[in-house]
Amino acid sequence: MFSKLIARNSRRNRKDSILYFSSMVISIIAFYIILSLSNQNVMLFLKKMESDAVDRLMTLIPVFYVLSLFILFFLVYFAGSIQIERRKHEFGVYLTLGMKRSRLFFMLLLEDLRNNIIALGIALPVAVLLSELISLVTSKIVGLGIIGHQFSLSLPAVVFTVVGFLLVKLPAFVFFSIKVTRKEIGELLSYPPSGIKKQLPNIIYFFSMILGALMLAKAYQLGISGRAWFDRKIMGLTVSLGGLGTILLFYGLRMVIGFFAGTGRRNRKKLHNFNFRQVQEMVIHRSTTVAICSLLIFASLCLFGAGIAISMDATDNIHILDYTFSNKDSYENLDTEQVQEFLEENGMAPLFSNVLGIRVGHPKELHSLSLDNLVEQIERAPLNDARNTLLHNLKNRDDCYLISLSGYNELRQAADLEPFVLEDQEAALYMNRDFLIDEALLNSIIATRPAIRQSGETLTLTGQIESLPIVTDRSITLTFALIVTDTRFESYTGGNYTNYVSAVLDPDFVQEKGLMQAIMETNNALDKMPLAYESYLQSMGRKLFYVVAASYLTIYLALIFLVVANTTIAVLFLMGQRKTHRRYQILVHLGATCETLCESARKQINWYFGLPIAVALINSIFGVLFLFPALLPAASLRTNVGRRVFIAGIVILVLTLIEYIYMSLVKRSSDTFLRTLMIPQRVD
Amino acid sequence: MQTILDVQSLKKYYGKEPNQTKALDGVSFQVIQGEFLGIMGASGSGKTTLLNCLASIIRPTAGSIYLKDKELGRLKESELAHYRGNEIGYLFQNFELIDNLTAKENILLPLSLHKVSERESAERLKLLSNYLDITDVLDKFPSQMSGGQRQRVAAARALILDPHIVFADEPTGALDSKNARILMERLAGMNAVEKTTILMVTHNSYAASFCNRILFIQDGKLFHELRRDHPRETQEDFYQRILRVMSMFAGGEPNVF
Repeated sequence: MFSKLIARNSRRNRKDSILYFSSMVISIIAFYIILSLSNQNVMLFLKKMESDAVDRLMTLIPVFYVLSLFILFFLVYFAGSIQIERRKHEFGVYLTLGMKRSRLFFMLLLEDLRNNIIALGIALPVAVLLSELISLVTSKIVGLGIIGHQFSLSLPAVVFTVVGFLLVKLPAFVFFSIKVTRKEIGELLSYPPSGIKKQLPNIIYFFSMILGALMLAKAYQLGISGRAWFDRKIMGLTVSLGGLGTILLFYGLRMVIGFFAGTGRRNRKKLHNFNFRQVQEMVIHRSTTVAICSLLIFASLCLFGAGIAISMDATDNIHILDYTFSNKDSYENLDTEQVQEFLEENGMAPLFSNVLGIRVGHPKELHSLSLDNLVEQIERAPLNDARNTLLHNLKNRDDCYLISLSGYNELRQAADLEPFVLEDQEAALYMNRDFLIDEALLNSIIATRPAIRQSGETLTLTGQIESLPIVTDRSITLTFALIVTDTRFESYTGGNYTNYVSAVLDPDFVQEKGLMQAIMETNNALDKMPLAYESYLQSMGRKLFYVVAASYLTIYLALIFLVVANTTIAVLFLMGQRKTHRRYQILVHLGATCETLCESARKQINWYFGLPIAVALINSIFGVLFLFPALLPAASLRTNVGRRVFIAGIVILVLTLIEYIYMSLVKRSSDTFLRTLMIPQRVD
Repeated sequence: MQTILDVQSLKKYYGKEPNQTKALDGVSFQVIQGEFLGIMGASGSGKTTLLNCLASIIRPTAGSIYLKDKELGRLKESELAHYRGNEIGYLFQNFELIDNLTAKENILLPLSLHKVSERESAERLKLLSNYLDITDVLDKFPSQMSGGQRQRVAAARALILDPHIVFADEPTGALDSKNARILMERLAGMNAVEKTTILMVTHNSYAASFCNRILFIQDGKLFHELRRDHPRETQEDFYQRILRVMSMFAGGEPNVF
């Protein structure tokens, strides 16, 4: 009998708050996926090359996990307190019927445990499948090939997921159960008045709102100034001002909503006044909860933005060369023929479609460069950050690298670009993209063909700025170089240069195997040869690791935050609606149809979600300005406004989608509930 | 005199044989304009079921209810909603004010539901709040008012749209005797001066003594009717007569003379 009661109660709890239950399931799935990260194909692969970094990431994951458990605890605590509160009367009846308090406590605990087990039972298989799917998709995207994929179940991940989940849920429930079973029967049986809380004078709410807004403004100002990133004190101040400001803002918001309720188009819209009072009640009773939800949505927006920006950065690289070779045991230059011979001798020539050499060197005299003419032109450009930085970078430059035209043209060919024609008196500017701040400005200046001086000779700058990667290793970059004709190159460097011999893999081979796999196989073959090499994979691996790890973690946290915030709001509304169901019944008596009630509830739901989201959006406009400079890895992203707008667009799209799903679910649930309010009284 | 409400052989059965409960078993009566009708009966006699049928909250099993010339059974859901808000007023035993709305907002709630402009009813709001003595509490929330004030606010809400008839379900049930008296005096006054038609369900004999006519209901059937001989009979005498009928309740129908 007892176990039947438990089963029935737990089923009812699940049904009553299906949204809360689903959020638990989603959280478990997210937990497993993040904990099993080390089992993902990409991570297994990276571990071979970047084991240190991967290990460091793996030590970071528990920190993230505990952080998300903490956030989840907020939801569990909040939803649990509401759930127990709602069933108080029922508990009173049990006790009146002679159930022992210890038995009631035990019953509550078992009910919750039963639901936890069901949630785990649903979520874990889904999580395992989903993490496999993610593993397959990411390895496909990065070109790892999926032939070698093996199904993997991470037992430690399962164990930690279960332990973490129960660790969050059980203590919260034990706490509530003890609290409720200690109450007197009379207290349990009486329905608490759901009436208005005692209100302070309006002026206090007004000041709280103004103070909140001021604190937020200060936080925005501190944030945008960027000083917070260098000073931990300022960082702490920014974060606490922002958090406290939001909480105060929501605390004072009741006054504004009260104003809306009292005035405006009171009767032109059905139940206008009632709807606003309902929304006001949420702000009055739970302003801090709503403020925290708003902050979570804000954090989630920023994290999503950062995650997407980081993952987009990966696709941003120009990839032409797959290998750069060097001598294994000497610093002597290799030349192209030598490498080709090697490859042919070992039967590896068919793997490559192209082998090319680029000569890069220093002028033989030091301080032989003068950019006066160019600098003058930049000085004339309109004042802005990009111009100032550019000026700062170039003003005192009296040295540069030189690149030979023939080699660079081979590179252009490999990249399917037209070769570049330079007269003897001409030179082209080469700058790495990460250091290139305002490409358009520089190009427009070069279009005027400014003169520069190198080793006492005048050269005219021409063409566009060049920035193709000249070797595979991404950590080797040239900040500033001149591309000159081969004869000039010889004379300026005096024959003292480095020849970078690089190769491109055969496209058919890459197509067949996937890039990663193709490089891995080639690496294995090359290892037996007397050639040292740097493959695209190694440099890519580093980058890939950074991207995968950062985007995984940010998007994971963003998801958890969003789920927790939305579920909290949903529970807040639905449980509130159940608690005040009598109000809706009164409205029926006063002549409201079911449609009117549903419509009214839908409007309230729009406000419930809309308020915290609106504040979060406003916060995030500044938040993004604050975070992007610190989070975005490449200078190009930091300055590219179009890209930022694009990322913001994606983020808002994702947010809109998720909020739409949540709001529809809550609305449907509210409609169903309101219909049940009508039905029992209308039975024939 | 015009008939406002015409109830004909109204039946409401719950459940199926053999466990069927006949909450209402063929009740017929009429209410004429300006009447203050009381319906008395013990707990479980079918009073509230009757009121719920009249207020279109539940549908009767058989029989018909005409308000003016409209038959409730034939009305569509939207028309019923209009009926509930506009043509009848409802006064509950436990006030049923919405606790997060101020008194004024509660009173004006029917306007908001039926899209009536506030200006049209401003005059009536003033009149009602003066008459019911609630002007001081209009901006207060229910939790800040006394029980008597709450019930009078509820009465104002029931009357704001000037309905054809007001159904009152034990309106004094949750009030102390002083507040019960004030409320009944005001309701009787509204009836006498404004010719408001009131149908009140009660088992409080004192409250019932304010009525012009009382129907007694037992086991779902009407079994007795009392009419106050106005103005020859004092309220006190009418009250005594009611008590006499009430004392016969316990024995059931055969004991009533």
